Amino acid sequence: MSYIVPIGPYHPSLEEPVHARLITDGEQITDAEVFIGYNHRGIEKLAQDMNFIQTMVLVERVCGICSHSHALCYALALESIGKVKVPKRGEYIRVIIAELERLHSHYLWLGIALHIIGHDSLFMHSWDDREAIMDILELLTGNRVNYGMVTYGGARRDITLEQAQKTLEMLDKIEESNKRLADFLLSDKTVALRTQGVGVLTTEDAIRIGAIGPHARASNVPTDVRIDAPYSSYSDFDFKMCTWESGDVFARVVVRVLENFESIKIIRQALANLPAGPINRGNKIPTIKPGEYMFRHEAPRGQLSYKVVTNGTEKNERVSIHVPTFKNAPTIPTMLRGNSVADAGLIIASIDPCFSCMDR
Amino acid sequence: MQEQPYNKISITREEIVPTAKKMREDGVILAMIHGYLGEDGKPNISYEYQIGNGIESYTVEGEDVLPSIAGIYDLAAEWPERELNELIGVTFEGLDTSKRLFMPDSMLDGQGQILVTPMEELIRKTHTKKEESET
Repeated sequence: MSYIVPIGPYHPSLEEPVHARLITDGEQITDAEVFIGYNHRGIEKLAQDMNFIQTMVLVERVCGICSHSHALCYALALESIGKVKVPKRGEYIRVIIAELERLHSHYLWLGIALHIIGHDSLFMHSWDDREAIMDILELLTGNRVNYGMVTYGGARRDITLEQAQKTLEMLDKIEESNKRLADFLLSDKTVALRTQGVGVLTTEDAIRIGAIGPHARASNVPTDVRIDAPYSSYSDFDFKMCTWESGDVFARVVVRVLENFESIKIIRQALANLPAGPINRGNKIPTIKPGEYMFRHEAPRGQLSYKVVTNGTEKNERVSIHVPTFKNAPTIPTMLRGNSVADAGLIIASIDPCFSCMDR
Repeated sequence: MQEQPYNKISITREEIVPTAKKMREDGVILAMIHGYLGEDGKPNISYEYQIGNGIESYTVEGEDVLPSIAGIYDLAAEWPERELNELIGVTFEGLDTSKRLFMPDSMLDGQGQILVTPMEELIRKTHTKKEESET
């Protein structure tokens, strides 16, 4: 007997609204469709009516988790049009915040995934660790979300010696707990039973559909903008790309846990070698010559791209925002096919979706 | 110093499909299809291919109807094309637009193209709706 099972737009296993229509044969999913756009706020339209500094504040509000990535990518696109050189210290501060954001985003996703599979004690452990990262972000920027650390031509706040010292101390604790979390996740039977072999995305499918970020790396596609096309001093740091072969939900868990170690490594190097000098080039509202540029940044969920068109005034002609979820969400129907309805919520969540980013 | 180089290359409508086929054969990733309306109100559509550490942007200017490359790049091209169709009203020949991806189903027939409608009109429309609901 074939039934159509709707999931969402509002559903207990979804953190944000999306609509998936599952075509089932008994318990098995035979096909699926995804519909988006439930969070559309017209941010691209609003950006056309604002100057560059106002837009930087606006694009930070696209997403509550990767807000720094949005502001950073927009600033990098503008700086590329204006051919502005960012001071080295400013670039390092931007990288530190970006990596802290990656850490807190990965911990958030791990918590949600563990909650969905019913392992609530590990969910609480991972969110407890995430609190420590949020505390570091609050210490460095003054905010737990929407950090406001990026401006045209650099960073907005400096990092003092005491702050760096405190951050390094807290990072030691976070690394310790990440090791413990990794041990649990890799050896726990409950996690293995609910995630191994579930929602498999093969390497061929990942490339064909255009998956990116940790989601693609879990299907053994070596793609990482920080390594493929280094920007903002990323080439100064020693870190490696984490990939896994199995392409199932378990692989996505492993890749994110391993990436946490790499992010900690980058932050340590950046803090230890923080160059002296200015952090930005002043706070005037810039006028940028007419031009267009597409810049890519490795946000926590994958490649974030901003295409900015300027017309020689203080305002944008067009800001086009494309987030990793927009590239990863089309893989959902492929992953759902052949799995049971009970795993649908976990498989949709396994791409680390951010629908408020995607619908913008 | 320019990190992530960006090159804009103008092409015609007829060159879209051969370019896409060649890129696909060479294993090049289609990063995104972007679009905006130029000063004359005509769309400016660019196909951004990821080559090396940079982007080559193959741009078509002033065409309302374009061939779809969803047959070549699968979903990596289909979703951006459907989005552009719904947001700025560009027609892609061969693209299935019977269902809405982004905008609500009630906004079929070119009503939901938010990026095309001028801001003043959008403000006026929301105000009229508010007044109507109040009365």
